[in-house]
Amino acid sequence: MNAVLEPVERYRALVDAAAPLLPGAHLDWLVAQRTEALEHFVQTGFPSRKQEAWRYTGLERVLEESWAPQAESVGTLKEADLARFRLSEDACVRLLFVNGRWMPELSSAATEVPVGVQVGGLRAALEEQPEQLVHRLGLAARSRQSSFTALNTALLDDGAWLQVSANTRLEAPIEILYLTVGQERTAIHPRNLLVLEEGAQATVIEHYASLDATPCFTNSLSEVLLGAGARLEHARLQDESAGARHMGNVFIEQGERSYYRGISVNLGGLWSRCEYHNRLQHTGARCDLDGLYVAGDRRLSDVHLEIEHGVPGCDSRQRFKGIVLGRGRAVFDGLIRVQPDAQKTDAHLSNDNLLLSRDAEVDTKPQLEIYADDVKCSHGTTVGQLEPAQVFYLRSRGIAAGVARRMLCLGFATEVLQDCSVTGFTERVQRRLQEHLEDTVVTLNGKEE
Amino acid sequence: MLKVTDLQVTVDDQPILKGLDLQVGRGEIHAIMGPNGSGKSSFAHVLAGREGYTVTGGEVLFDGEDLLALDVEQRARKGMFLALQYPVELPGVSTMVFLRESLNAVRAERGEPALDAASFIKLLREKARLVELNPELLKRAVNTGFSGGEKKRSEILQMALLEPKLAVLDETDSGLDIDALRIVADGVNALRSPDRSMILVTHYQRLLDYIEPDFVHVLSGGRIVRTGDKSLALELERRGYAWLDEGEAAA
Repeated sequence: MNAVLEPVERYRALVDAAAPLLPGAHLDWLVAQRTEALEHFVQTGFPSRKQEAWRYTGLERVLEESWAPQAESVGTLKEADLARFRLSEDACVRLLFVNGRWMPELSSAATEVPVGVQVGGLRAALEEQPEQLVHRLGLAARSRQSSFTALNTALLDDGAWLQVSANTRLEAPIEILYLTVGQERTAIHPRNLLVLEEGAQATVIEHYASLDATPCFTNSLSEVLLGAGARLEHARLQDESAGARHMGNVFIEQGERSYYRGISVNLGGLWSRCEYHNRLQHTGARCDLDGLYVAGDRRLSDVHLEIEHGVPGCDSRQRFKGIVLGRGRAVFDGLIRVQPDAQKTDAHLSNDNLLLSRDAEVDTKPQLEIYADDVKCSHGTTVGQLEPAQVFYLRSRGIAAGVARRMLCLGFATEVLQDCSVTGFTERVQRRLQEHLEDTVVTLNGKEE
Repeated sequence: MLKVTDLQVTVDDQPILKGLDLQVGRGEIHAIMGPNGSGKSSFAHVLAGREGYTVTGGEVLFDGEDLLALDVEQRARKGMFLALQYPVELPGVSTMVFLRESLNAVRAERGEPALDAASFIKLLREKARLVELNPELLKRAVNTGFSGGEKKRSEILQMALLEPKLAVLDETDSGLDIDALRIVADGVNALRSPDRSMILVTHYQRLLDYIEPDFVHVLSGGRIVRTGDKSLALELERRGYAWLDEGEAAA
């Protein structure tokens, strides 16, 4: 029997079983999207290593378990359980999702949210005001379907929904926490839709975490729609448990002169892949995306970026750093494509990796595909170890060798975190990174001292 | 304070130090001069414990203790300080975090409690004034984007903060203009104390116009070939190092 076919059948049965419980059965447009997605999935199945985008990333660890959404709710969670997951002190709205489902009673009231901002669960929105979603849900992701995004749409149940009306500015961040809680083989397929109309501004934090060590599978999809002149700061932190499998997709559509500033941090999981897809189809748009990934011992962390400049005069800058520990493995694949019409494009991509052991591995592939002739584009990649001269310098000032190495790793990571303006985010990531590094013996050039 | 006896060191099996003897008493300032490639910087690095140098013979006692048996960080905590000729940049590493971590490691060894953030910042400001280092630089990553002079001043600031028993200054004067040299020298002079010994490693006599040594040694071919007072430095300045080789041959 074909080993790839089997999971496809399993997922198809899963979708059939879940269908009666999913929201929006009365919405023709959504039913059409679900049908189309399921067809796409059944036809293409899961990707294999023969496909270039999956060459270095096998799916064995995702497919070896029969993950499934959980119908029944989990026991009660208290405020106290949640306190340790808080990132920013000044968030104006906190949304909590437990095993994929919105928990309005544990989400903070949006009392301070200005008029013109709607925020809450996507499931509730599909039931109460589907007219707000009809031309928006699926807009960014639909035409670029992959197996995982198709599954997300076929199983679309709940997620965060934010809509900021024209020229409304939200100063404080909206913090969204997706928590998986101790049920074996739980799968969640969060679907987020962030819409900023013309001239609107907001800051959104997506934080994926686990309440306990039970392995779960997250397959999230966020769609970001920015109107002309809109500005979004979008922080995404994947900090799930060591056994988690995480697939994250972010699709962005930018209007004229809009600004998307993203920061993507991937710390947790046994198997983790994060993809960003941005099509710049309106002139004057700018996209800045910084990222950090840490692949712990025997873990895989994969980042894929696809930035397409389709019109003249857009800027994009991507800067990712990776730290690989023990027998960990990281994959970075960053593509900037500049279409023939996209003159005066300014696009830069960098990827730096720190390998902290002899057995650590990174496969990095920055790519520029340029079909226009009047552009400023660059890419650069480095793979290296800690500099012995730097370690010596710190030790010669009395700092223990292990502490010195951790300081240097943190410093390396801090360079991509320091421009993030979300209060509490950088500090949180630094603290969690420090904990990851303390768990692992950081060796120099693969040698124990 | 420091007693070096017949120290022999190789790098990649090449002999670099070939039986170096040196004694530095408490509170004394010694200058080690010598032509390029004589082993001056190697000696400084061997004292600090830099990897890549193999000690094949001899002994180094620091305050009566076998220095060569100690790790790099243990030497620093026990009061050895090396100011580097080329201080390295540590991008992303906060200067404040670095200095506080360093100071508290040294204080712990001396049996002193860790400084809290407020006392640390107060102390740091005070020491920064001593070396005329712009306090704004302390908000940056360690040495990152510092000019050559700022890097050297940052080294002297660290020395002021850690209050070592023995400071080894490796070519601290190199690459400094006359104003920067004066500031660095003033900082060093302010740190002179009956309890603090110093070794100045330098190629030129210029630094010694500002920091007056008690002894001047000439290192050549991996050994101390001559010892004198500061007049020896002036003689070297006038006659060059070649004169010593002639002396050697004649002896």
